[in-house]
Amino acid sequence: MNVGNVLLATAFAVLLGATGILARAYLADDDRHVGYVTMLTGTGAVALAGALAQLTYQFVVTDYSNAYVWNNTADYLPLLYRVTGVYAGNEGSILLWAALTALVAFTAGVIRGFPDRHSKLVHAITFGIVTYFVGMLLLQSPFASIRTEFANAPPGYIPTSGEGLNPLLVDPYMAIHPPVMFVSYALLTMPFAIGAAHFVSLFRGDGSVFAAWRGSVTRWLRVSWLFLTVAVALGGLWSYTVLGWGGIWAWDPVETAILVPWLFLTATVHAVVRYRPNDEYRILAPAMTATVFSLAIYTTSIVRSGTFRSVHSFADGGIGISFIVLMVLTSVLGVVVPLAYWFLQDGEATGSDGAWLTRDNLLHAAVLLFGLLTFVSLWGLSFPVLRAAVTGVEVSVESHYFNLWSYPLVGIALLLLGFYMDFDVEGRRRSLTGLAVFGTAAVAAAFVAPSETWQLSPSPPTQSPIYGVLGSISVLSILPPAAYAILGVTKRALARIPATADRGAMFKETGITAIHVGAVLLVLSLPFMYMFAGQASAMATGIASESVDTSYQDVAGTDYSVRVLDYTSNEFPQNPKPESYALSADQVAARGPSLNGTVQAVYGTVTDIRRGPQATVIQLDNSRTWVGVIQRNETTGNLSVQTGQGLVARGRLMWNFVPNADATVLASPQTIGSPANPPEGVVPTRVQVDGVSLAVYEDGKLVTSGVAGQREYPQQGNMQVRDVLIDRGLVTDTYVIAGVSDGTASMTVKQVPLMSLLRLSIVLLVAGMSTVLVFDPEHGIQTLTASTASSTDVEPETTD
Amino acid sequence: MKPRKALTIAFFVFLLGIGYLSMHSAPVLSDDNYSYHGETEWRTDFSEAEQLASEQDRPIVIYFWTTWCTYCEDYNQYVYSDPEVQAELDDFVKVAVNLDSDQGEYGRLQQRYNANYPPQHVIITPEGEQLVKISGYADREAFLNYLAKAEREYDAGDNQ
Repeated sequence: MNVGNVLLATAFAVLLGATGILARAYLADDDRHVGYVTMLTGTGAVALAGALAQLTYQFVVTDYSNAYVWNNTADYLPLLYRVTGVYAGNEGSILLWAALTALVAFTAGVIRGFPDRHSKLVHAITFGIVTYFVGMLLLQSPFASIRTEFANAPPGYIPTSGEGLNPLLVDPYMAIHPPVMFVSYALLTMPFAIGAAHFVSLFRGDGSVFAAWRGSVTRWLRVSWLFLTVAVALGGLWSYTVLGWGGIWAWDPVETAILVPWLFLTATVHAVVRYRPNDEYRILAPAMTATVFSLAIYTTSIVRSGTFRSVHSFADGGIGISFIVLMVLTSVLGVVVPLAYWFLQDGEATGSDGAWLTRDNLLHAAVLLFGLLTFVSLWGLSFPVLRAAVTGVEVSVESHYFNLWSYPLVGIALLLLGFYMDFDVEGRRRSLTGLAVFGTAAVAAAFVAPSETWQLSPSPPTQSPIYGVLGSISVLSILPPAAYAILGVTKRALARIPATADRGAMFKETGITAIHVGAVLLVLSLPFMYMFAGQASAMATGIASESVDTSYQDVAGTDYSVRVLDYTSNEFPQNPKPESYALSADQVAARGPSLNGTVQAVYGTVTDIRRGPQATVIQLDNSRTWVGVIQRNETTGNLSVQTGQGLVARGRLMWNFVPNADATVLASPQTIGSPANPPEGVVPTRVQVDGVSLAVYEDGKLVTSGVAGQREYPQQGNMQVRDVLIDRGLVTDTYVIAGVSDGTASMTVKQVPLMSLLRLSIVLLVAGMSTVLVFDPEHGIQTLTASTASSTDVEPETTD
Repeated sequence: MKPRKALTIAFFVFLLGIGYLSMHSAPVLSDDNYSYHGETEWRTDFSEAEQLASEQDRPIVIYFWTTWCTYCEDYNQYVYSDPEVQAELDDFVKVAVNLDSDQGEYGRLQQRYNANYPPQHVIITPEGEQLVKISGYADREAFLNYLAKAEREYDAGDNQ
């Protein structure tokens, strides 16, 4: 047992205790021991935070006695990426998730306390989930000893170098994306627990839970939405810069897996606004609240099951089965129970007078549209797996599936948004006219394609007629709905903001306006960015020679030309200190016979040399550690070693191998050298960075300059990561990818339109939601302290 | 009908529609029930093939192959990729038997038609009676001749 495992075990015990006490208190309606819950969960949260800190510390100091650390980092990495290693694999990311969830659950418990049975049930569920996560970690611990990797190594063996981090994760975006995502998933635990508790309580005849928690649910959902949006955006920007994939979105299974909860969360945020205790949404809103987290778990399970060969497969395998159990548990609580209640309860929903055009119906349509969008992504993720499992037929789901189905839905959503906003301000007749005009314009525009480039997907590879029809839609058709939506949103904002009663309401309106404008700009920029991205290539040869040819290279078919100014090639680690990769004689002595038989690098000063006919032995630092070099022939055997010089060597370390020495490191002429210039066999190259300094010109004018090239990781199957050169322009980004090898640089210059619009849309989404979150007069964080949390909101909402 | 109910029903209809259409128009990468040679699809279940053959009154061609057999690769490249061969083969029910597979039925077929090495083709009637056997590699022309011969034999058998 090490410190980390003790902390995990402690957390498991106290959280299990807290869950047990709350569950018993709920079931037996008996408040005994409930007073201890805060203390217990506080201890659990502290223990998990401690475990996370301990793991992070092990990464920072590269403590290779921990197998997970050894697997996911190496000394040559800078501090930031050593920390990234913490959540590079399954165990670490679950620990991060568990610690964050524990913190959220503990905070929620402290804020609200456990005043009634309902809150006991809600918190029993949240603590139950954290306990489950910790249980998973106990089964597959991030603190497992290195002996799990090297079962045959002698006791106490610790490697001197780590395996390194997946090269794709060596990026600033990836250092922040996973924590942001897990914060969001952790926050979703609360709405899940409240929704699930609501239906459990209804089944037990204990009445509604949701009504009293509505304010909290709204806040939890909004904060999660905010974090999830940031996480999706960071992931997209990462794929734009790291992979040279040529875009922010590729419908990779893991990308789709985070989009599914995001879409459904968006639907849920809209649905909760409509919750009223006597309305049909008294079922739908809590049900959706409970479902979001189940979807997050489902999609996480499906991508971690190893079914998909994705670029994200760095976190595959292992934890699979416990994830599937969790998936079943959360699906039952979050989906099956609410559905069962919906089936079993009788009585028609009230509140509808049969009129079609009401705000409620329009909002319902919006919720359903988001539901459909979620379904498209969810189904695309699931059906290949389901079909392969059931029929043995392996099918591929391609990006045009997602694009072609989502596009019309998004178009309809924009029309609906415009209409809703218009309807709110202008009333029935004028708004219907508006809808008719913009709707007709959209349909007409769908047929107007100036060239094939304007069509969504002119000839999709499958012959299905439906894809043929959808693929021939012109992307011009997005313009009228987008214009309509922006007009509607702006018009309503202009009508409403001046009329607001107080500052909070005004900020809220502004925030909502920003979110919706942001959403419109987002969906407007996406299709154009892909369809009108142009690219062309140019070559430059002879760049590795002394004099680089700096003449202009025209990029065929474009107005661009490029000049290669310089060529750089570097290997990392550069001049590493011997103590970072090798053991000193003292360290060898300290570790003793545990090193017997292992391959080690050692360093020290030569204090004695004894040359024999077939071998030379060299003493380090007057110690009982010697380096032995076998000389098989004269040419390689002439070792020029002198006493007093520094030495590094790598080889199998034998204990008590020869008299008068404790340890003998059996090196070969290739694995012995000076610390100033250690041979490759002692310090392998981790990263080979090749790049060219480029200047890019458009019509003879300098557009951008910088370094483009690639980083290659020889220790990780020669995996390559591109260093791209991006000029972030107002209308188009100029994006240069260069492949550099054998003295030739092949450069691809891309033009990616509308990236600025996309960046702006992300800012608007995030800023808008932050504003709403803080200033909402009813459910804002600002009003949290002032109001009591238990309002049942009989008044219908008048916004959103 | 109340508007919200109508919307919800439309939602489910749409949802099922998308689900059904997309699943059936997804490109097939590989199918456990088929073995692929050249551009042709071969069944792997002999009993199914037998049943199909007697229902449709067509002869069965059994292809004994392995993954390591170089002549099988030649069949892929030079024979099965040929449109004329493909058209001819459409008159037969095709079954591919991987000699390395430990499926019990394959072992019996191998014994029954004495196919001990790859590649071999045995063309049989739905009742299992051998019509033609091609041992080893036959080039495109020869292969077509064998197929034609098998068909003649089969038709002659039918007429008796």
